[in-house]
Amino acid sequence: MGGKRSPARLVVALSVAGVLAIFLVYTALAGGGTPSLKPSQLAGHTGRVSLVGKVVGSVTGQSHSAAGMRFRVQDIGGKSAVPVVYHGSVPDLFRTGRDVVVDGRLRHGSFVAVPGTLVTKCPSKYTPKG
Amino acid sequence: MAPLGRAALLVAFGCLIYAALAGGYAAARRRRRLALSARNALLAAFGATAVAAAVLVAALLRHDFTFAYVAEHTSAQLPARYRVSALWGGQEGSLLFWLLVLTGYSSIAVLAARRAGQDLLAWVVPILGTIGAFFAFLVVAIASPFHTQTAPPDGLGLTPSLQNPYMLIHPPLLYLGYVGLSIPFAFAMATLLARRGDEMWIVVTRRWTLVAWTFLGVGQLLGAHWAYVEVGWGGYYAWDPVENAALMPWLAATAFLHSVMIQEKRGMLKVWNMLLVVLAFCLAIFGDFLTRSGVINSIHSFAQGKVGPWLLGFICAVTAASLALVFARLPLLRARTRLESLVSREATFLYNNLLLVALCLTILWGVAFPLLSEAVRGQTVTIARPYYDFFLRVFGLPLLLLMGIGPLVAWRRASLRALGNAFLGPALLAVATGVVLIALGAGSSRPGLIAYSFSVFVLASIALEFARGTRARRSLAGGSWPAAFGSLVARNRRRYGGYVVHAAVVLLAIGIAGSSAYQTVRERRLQPGQSMNVAGYTLAFQGTTEGQSSNARELRTHLLLSRGGHTLGSIAPGKNYYPAERSSSNEVAIRHSFLTLEDVYVIADQIDAKSGAVYFKVLVKPLVNLIWLAGAVFVLGSLITLWPDAREERRLAARYRAEGALVRV
Repeated sequence: MGGKRSPARLVVALSVAGVLAIFLVYTALAGGGTPSLKPSQLAGHTGRVSLVGKVVGSVTGQSHSAAGMRFRVQDIGGKSAVPVVYHGSVPDLFRTGRDVVVDGRLRHGSFVAVPGTLVTKCPSKYTPKG
Repeated sequence: MAPLGRAALLVAFGCLIYAALAGGYAAARRRRRLALSARNALLAAFGATAVAAAVLVAALLRHDFTFAYVAEHTSAQLPARYRVSALWGGQEGSLLFWLLVLTGYSSIAVLAARRAGQDLLAWVVPILGTIGAFFAFLVVAIASPFHTQTAPPDGLGLTPSLQNPYMLIHPPLLYLGYVGLSIPFAFAMATLLARRGDEMWIVVTRRWTLVAWTFLGVGQLLGAHWAYVEVGWGGYYAWDPVENAALMPWLAATAFLHSVMIQEKRGMLKVWNMLLVVLAFCLAIFGDFLTRSGVINSIHSFAQGKVGPWLLGFICAVTAASLALVFARLPLLRARTRLESLVSREATFLYNNLLLVALCLTILWGVAFPLLSEAVRGQTVTIARPYYDFFLRVFGLPLLLLMGIGPLVAWRRASLRALGNAFLGPALLAVATGVVLIALGAGSSRPGLIAYSFSVFVLASIALEFARGTRARRSLAGGSWPAAFGSLVARNRRRYGGYVVHAAVVLLAIGIAGSSAYQTVRERRLQPGQSMNVAGYTLAFQGTTEGQSSNARELRTHLLLSRGGHTLGSIAPGKNYYPAERSSSNEVAIRHSFLTLEDVYVIADQIDAKSGAVYFKVLVKPLVNLIWLAGAVFVLGSLITLWPDAREERRLAARYRAEGALVRV
């Protein structure tokens, strides 16, 4: 278009640069997201991860007691499973057979959950009974 | 009945294909009669889709389990209203519902927008026909709701937590919003195809964008309220991909609603508006893709099917075609004027747009990153709450401030002196509020403090605008103050309705800041007779009772709530156990205070039958009720801006018809 440069372009360029800068600062300070893993992928991860899977077997213990609530989480559609120890509030729909997401760390072969991070996936809008 | 449904869908598909192909040919070759028949085919497609939807609803109501869809999504005991809601509850039905809304909207749009001009409408028909044909193809060939089977004795039913009045209203409102964004998109692309560079498409579709945007906004707030009162975790928005799926097109549409005003007034940002309307439309389809493809790890899990890749392909095709078209028509989209000053109304609109789009794209990145990470590194990564909260603050707080600044800045070029005068009152009020809040101890959250001060600034500037306008109106026309106020709003519905919507956003911001930045959470295990203190409230646990309803065992804990020695009443959070579904649900107790707009939200988490002890989680959420109040104000503001104003429409249409004629030489 030639002629005098439009201030609108300057604004757009500066804001794009600004957004990128904020983004870089954020990723540098806070890091990326939390890895989201299936039980079969847990081996070798010692940091905090999100465990995704299906609750299998029986659920024992109380989540607000010192020993915590214990259950096993299995790959959705797979065989590998990992024992989970959990403290804190338990969502409504939590029970054997449900798909859950829980944050925590792998410690000596069992997954120690961060208290209060257990999330049950909402059932599909309309799902089969059982 | 199923063959009738299938046949109706085939007819709809055929009509839409015809509308797309014949309509496109007619528009390119300027064949008026063919264009008219293409338009009629679009109308016929709506009729045929309505027949198909009626067949499915009838089957749902009659418990016709020979329809696989009916058996999979309802049961014999399910109340009639939830059987109807199954129309949008499952994948196939929801796609049919989408097609019904799309063809319905399309019909109204092409009939109502005749003044847009023949050349423009001639292109709108094939574009809407193409979009419709795609969705018709999905329900005909990929996910038909009319598969039949040998009827089982009973259907599979509906999860108890979804047997809720919100199920009747929240999903359809979102669909009405998502699909509504197709109309402005179609008119925008038609403008380019018709080689027009004018603003007629904006005039014609302004109301469509507003309607879609209002439905999306209200639908989301209702969803948030549903989560708050029913799901029982004390929150209302979790930055879940499925929630974000509705927020992103809403943000893009918000940006669009603002930037089209710049194009109307000053003839700038033409390319930008085209890109925004494409973005909003693609994000709406992307929302459908997210919920229906199952590719995203969400706490909402939806019925998954084979439509995912098709939807993704459609988004890619639409994006590529629209961008190519915008690029090809760039010469038509030259701005009539340019930005004169960085301190002007149009400049603040530009900043607002950049912030809204930045927020929208960072959310998109948060949603898409897990997919990209899995594709590139083979590892899924979840982007959690801190990411979104960070960007909401970084982009949301300046946006809030701009809402107060924008209305006070003059068009074209504002003098700093005039600005100073206009800002002085609201700015002083904001600073004073900040000081008072710090004195009251609200300094514990800096974002909260900033949000509150900015909110006061915006509310003050809105009040100032109303006061100034009313005074001017009264001195011009005389009469009483209320009459002058009424006439002011009635004569400038877009402007003052917009301010009301701004006030709603401020209420929302105050509610969100109050309930998140200043909430208090305490958890304690109590025996009957024990009590706990939370944020000045005392909750005395009196005991547990057990009741029985038709399908659930209901445990209720009874707590006496008091504050400063005054008894406020009894509340009874508990749990319901549903033996048939082998599930339980938290029945939270919420005590609203209408005076302070604060909620005491109590969850009885573990009820120990042996010892009688209960583990309570108590959240005190200041000002949370402002969020729901904001919803009502938002609807009021939208209605004011939507209310037909024949005088203004005629004036605008005449203006753009004249300009359009000039441009199309």
